[in-house]
Amino acid sequence: MPADIKTTPAHRAASLQGAVFTFQSDKERFDAIDKAFDYRGDVTLTVLGEQIDGYIFNRDPKAAPPRIEVFVKGSEDPKIIPYADISAISFTGKDTADGKSWEAWVSKKESERKAEADRVRAEAEAQGHL
Amino acid sequence: MVPISQAWTVASYVISQKLKGRKRYPLVLMLEPLFRCNLACAGCGKIQYPDHILNKRLTPQQCWDAVEECGAPMVSIPGGEPLIHPEIDQIVDGLVKRKKYIYLCTNALLLKRKLDLFKPSKYLTFSVHMDGLKEDHDTAVCRDGTFDIAVEAIKEAVKRGFRVTTNTTLFHGADPSHVREFFDQMMDLGVEGMMLSPGYTYEKAPDQQNFLHRDQTKALFKQILSNPKKSWRFNLSPLFLKFLQGELDFECTPWGSPAYNIFGWQKPCYLLQDGYVKTFKEYLELTDWDNYGNKSSNPKCQDCMVHCGFEPSAVDATFGSISGFVQTAKATLALG
Repeated sequence: MPADIKTTPAHRAASLQGAVFTFQSDKERFDAIDKAFDYRGDVTLTVLGEQIDGYIFNRDPKAAPPRIEVFVKGSEDPKIIPYADISAISFTGKDTADGKSWEAWVSKKESERKAEADRVRAEAEAQGHL
Repeated sequence: MVPISQAWTVASYVISQKLKGRKRYPLVLMLEPLFRCNLACAGCGKIQYPDHILNKRLTPQQCWDAVEECGAPMVSIPGGEPLIHPEIDQIVDGLVKRKKYIYLCTNALLLKRKLDLFKPSKYLTFSVHMDGLKEDHDTAVCRDGTFDIAVEAIKEAVKRGFRVTTNTTLFHGADPSHVREFFDQMMDLGVEGMMLSPGYTYEKAPDQQNFLHRDQTKALFKQILSNPKKSWRFNLSPLFLKFLQGELDFECTPWGSPAYNIFGWQKPCYLLQDGYVKTFKEYLELTDWDNYGNKSSNPKCQDCMVHCGFEPSAVDATFGSISGFVQTAKATLALG
């Protein structure tokens, strides 16, 4: 009955890695936070003048007040940050989903595919997961 | 076939939900104790996270609490690769004690080595990821030799008396004759049953030509399943198999397979990530369900025929009316 269904190979829009968003309006702030929520990498948030590096895993634009939840690097528990306290978002971490589509894999040369497969295997072995 | 005790547990659970008048109830909890994997299948959308996220784990207590909070009779443990979790044996033990039917989803790379951690039980099934014949599977998971390792692990687990099923995701380009041959191979290995599903595709993709759209999904599964061999056993509702072939239509039941992971309860379903809530009650009450399913205008749902959304619909239909039950009985007999 229950199965482990992964999402399928898919193309993605151009990565936002390296992009920086500052806001002139609430709409811009909400849009940028939506993009950061979709991003599969860490971001750097400017919160009340302080820089916070972490992964945004949740956002609730309808909460009072609207807020995000972030796993800050090196911290165990998530941090809740109101939208209004965020003045900039930089997509500083590697986009871990970029270039991972099935088509990207197929389009690589056989030697590149083998090298990538070997690298993944070596990483798993180094972590004791094989 | 599933043990009678499991079929009875599920049937009595669904009927009791119906008698209580519950419109939305969970059937299978998708419990993801970690996202870390030891494979990196091209395009898999489940494991792309920064390292500090991949290093996070649900504790056994968090897993048990989620299972009790949810109340579903079955628990699927995907990931990531659950056998990487250092406390997976404790998690499973606790779920067996709670008499939950567990499907531990694994690529089987670690299965043979870790079998000693587990005891055979009617409550525990290893659901081994197998995407086709040797060449097709190794291509799908991007590592040569994976199929052979999984086959060895399946043989060993079956020999030791464990319940073993396979789970297979099919994409555009799957060769029906290969898939049928693959079914024969898996049955020869002695697995209890096979699970299969079309893969889920992101709607964002600019190039849609390689994606399995609804009509293509139905055509593919019709080719594979229209003349089933008597030897094949599926660990799926017969009505879901008919749905895949386009012979029945269901609306998605996203709350039927709710997902819980290190982020919380995932809205709205196992495949889409529209946010997280802290409790299962909030999940049921705060998710805007009208925004999801084939009848909604949500483009992310339009081509989806995935098992986690539609198998619960099929099970609900089976127990929702006498005609549904009769239809299921007929479909079961047709499968042999």
